[in-house]
Amino acid sequence: MNDESKSSTPQTPDAEPTVSRSTVPIWIIVLTLVLLFLGMVYFDHHGGWFNSQVYGPYASAAELELYQPKSGEAAMLARGKAHYDQVCGLCHGLDGLGKPGQAPPLAGSEWVDTKGLQRFVSIPLAGVSGQLAVKGQTWSLSMPAMGAAMSDADLADVLTYIHSAWGNKQGPVTADEVKAIRAKLGAHPQPFSSETLKALPE
Amino acid sequence: MSTNEKSGSGGLSSPGGASVPASRLVSSLAPPGEISPADIDRSCCVPLLALLGGAALWLVVGSVLGLLASIKFHAPDFLANCAWLTYGRLQPVADDALLYGFCLPAGLGVALWLLARLSQTPLRGAVVPIIAANLWHLGVFVGLMAILIGDTTGFAWLEFPRGGSVPIFFAYLLLALWAVMIFAGRRERGLYPSQWFLVAALFWFPWIYSTANLFLVAWPVRGVTQAVISWWFANNLLVVWTGLVGVGAAFYFLPKFTGRPLQSYYLALFGFGTFILFATWCGIPPGAPVPVWMPTLSATATVLFFVPLLVISLIGLRTVWGSVRSRWDNGPFCFIGSGMDFFCLSGLMLVAMACPKISPVTQFTWFGPAETQLRLYGFFAMTMFGAIYYLLPRAVGIEFPFPKLVRVHYWVSLLGITLLVVPLAIGGVLQGLKLQDPNVAFADTTKAMLPFLRVSTLGLTALLLGNLLFFVNVLGLTLRWKLALLKQFIAFVKSPLEPGSACASLRPDKEVGA
Repeated sequence: MNDESKSSTPQTPDAEPTVSRSTVPIWIIVLTLVLLFLGMVYFDHHGGWFNSQVYGPYASAAELELYQPKSGEAAMLARGKAHYDQVCGLCHGLDGLGKPGQAPPLAGSEWVDTKGLQRFVSIPLAGVSGQLAVKGQTWSLSMPAMGAAMSDADLADVLTYIHSAWGNKQGPVTADEVKAIRAKLGAHPQPFSSETLKALPE
Repeated sequence: MSTNEKSGSGGLSSPGGASVPASRLVSSLAPPGEISPADIDRSCCVPLLALLGGAALWLVVGSVLGLLASIKFHAPDFLANCAWLTYGRLQPVADDALLYGFCLPAGLGVALWLLARLSQTPLRGAVVPIIAANLWHLGVFVGLMAILIGDTTGFAWLEFPRGGSVPIFFAYLLLALWAVMIFAGRRERGLYPSQWFLVAALFWFPWIYSTANLFLVAWPVRGVTQAVISWWFANNLLVVWTGLVGVGAAFYFLPKFTGRPLQSYYLALFGFGTFILFATWCGIPPGAPVPVWMPTLSATATVLFFVPLLVISLIGLRTVWGSVRSRWDNGPFCFIGSGMDFFCLSGLMLVAMACPKISPVTQFTWFGPAETQLRLYGFFAMTMFGAIYYLLPRAVGIEFPFPKLVRVHYWVSLLGITLLVVPLAIGGVLQGLKLQDPNVAFADTTKAMLPFLRVSTLGLTALLLGNLLFFVNVLGLTLRWKLALLKQFIAFVKSPLEPGSACASLRPDKEVGA
C-alpha cells in the first residue's frame, strides 16, 4: 500500500514537467503532404465539387447528367455524344477541330455542315482515302469505314450530334435515312476518293 | 504578495493527514512571495471534490443503466413493462450519464487543476466553481430524469431538454471562465503544450453545445441539415473535446511519471494544429443521404486525422521509451499509459471507418459503437482515472482509503474494456460482411450478433465493478475529508480563547486521516 503511494510521487516531487526542443521529423511533414495530396485527388474524383444537387453514389454533376432520362432529339444527342467521344473523337478531337496529321476538322467543314445527307452519311459508311480539301486545306489521309459496324440508329445518333455540335447548324439524321444510304452503297463499298465523293449528289 | 492570502488563511486549506508528501513539508519553507505546488493543490480542493465526487457517482449510475440496456439485447422481456426502463430511454440515459455526468466534469476538474499547476497560480474565489459544479450536477440530474420520463430532444448525445442543457451550459461557462482566469493570471509566462490543449477544450464545448442547441432545439433548422449538425456536434464532443482534454492531461502526466521531458515542443505543436484542423471535420458517415461533398470531405479529413494520431502516439512513445521507470510500478501511470494506447487504437478504428473500401462493411454495424465505447471508456475515462488518482489526494491532502483498489480497478477496467470492445468490433465486421451478402437473411445476420452482445454485457459488468471501486475510493476520501473538517471544527470550538492560539489550532493534527 505504501509502495503504491510512494511510487505515484515522482522522484523530484511535484516538479512541473519539461519539454524538449527537438524538431519535427521531416518524414512526418512529407507524409502529411502526401496524404493531403491524395485527399485532394480523392475529393476531386468523388466530391461533386460542392454541388448541392449531387448526392451519393454519384460523384459529379456530369455523371449525374448522364443518368438523367431523356427522350427525342435530346436523347439522340446524348447517345450520339457518348458514341462520338469513344469512336470519332480520338482522331477528329472531342472539340471537332480535328488533329494535324490525323483527321480534318468537323466543325464548320463543308462536307459536314450541309443540308444534303448523301455525302455526309456515306463517308463513315465507306471511308475515304487520298487527298481531300477541307476548309481550304488539303488533307492526304485515309479514313476507315468507322460507321460500317454501327447500327443505323447508333450512326444516326452520332451524325445528329456532329450535325449540331461545335457551331454546326443542321437538323437531325434519322435511322431510316442512314438505312436508305447504306442500302444504296451495297455490302462492301470501296473507300471514296475526293472525286467519287463529289460525284455523289449532295 | 496577495496570492498568498487565500492559501495562507482559512481552515479549509490547511494540510492534514499523516502521509503528507515530502514536498508539502518543504513548501512551508518556501520563501515569501513564492507559491508552492502544495498551496496550489489545496486552493482547488473543494471545487475538485464537488466536481469529481459527483462525477464518480454519475459514472456508477451510468454503468448500471448501460448494463441494463445491454441486457435487453439478449433478453428483450427484461424490465419491458416499465416505460421508464425501455431501451429507447435507458441507452441515452446511460450514454449521457457517462458523458455529461462523468467525462465532462472529470475533464473540467482535471483541467482546472492542471491549469492552476502549470500557471503556478492558485485558484481564487473557489466559491464560484463550487456553485458551478453543483449547478452542473443538478443540470445532469434534471436532464437524465427528463429523458427517463420521455422528454428528450431526440438527437444523439444532445438528449437533454432545456431544463438540463441550460444549467450545464452556464455551469460550464463559469468553470471555464475560472480556468481561463487562472490561465490569464499565470505567473509562469511560458506555455507548456498541455495548456494549448486544455484552453482550446475550454472554448470548444460552449461553441459546439450552444450551436447545436440553438440550431436543433431552440430554432430548429430544416430537413437534412439537422442530421449534419447533429453529426458535427457528436464528433466534436466525442472526438475533439475528449481528445483535447485527454491528450492535454497525458502530455502533463507522462513526462511527470517517466521523469523525462515531453518529446517534443514542436512535435506537440504540429500534433495540436493538425488535430484541431482535421478532427473537427470528421463525423459525417460515408453513406449519409446529404450532398456528396459533405461525406467525401469528412472521409478525407478523417483519413488525414491519421497524421495527428501518429504524431501524438509518437510523442507518447518517445517520452516513455528510454525511461527507467516502468508503467507497472505506478497506478496512475498504468491508467494514463493505457488511455494513450486506447486513444491510438480508437483513432485507428475511426480512420478505418472512413476509408472508402472499409466503410461499406462497417457502416450500420456494431463497429461504430465499439469505437465510441473504446474512446469514452478506454481512452478518456482511463486517462481521467489516472489523473484523479494522482491529483485528488494532493488537492485534498488526504490519501485514498483503499490504495490497493487502484490496481484492482485498473485490471478490472482493462478486462471490461476488452470484453466490451473486442466482441463488438469483431462482431461488427462479421455483421457488415453478412449484410453485404445478398444470400444471408437479415434476421440471420441479427441473430449471429447475439454471442458477441452477450460477451459485451460481461464487459459492462466488469466495468461497473471497476467503477464501483473508483467510487468507493472517492467516497472514502470525501468522508475522511469531512471527518477531518469536523475534528478541526471541534478542536477550534474547544480551544481556549487566546489570541494567536486560534490559528495554531487550525494546523494539521497528526491523528487526522491516519
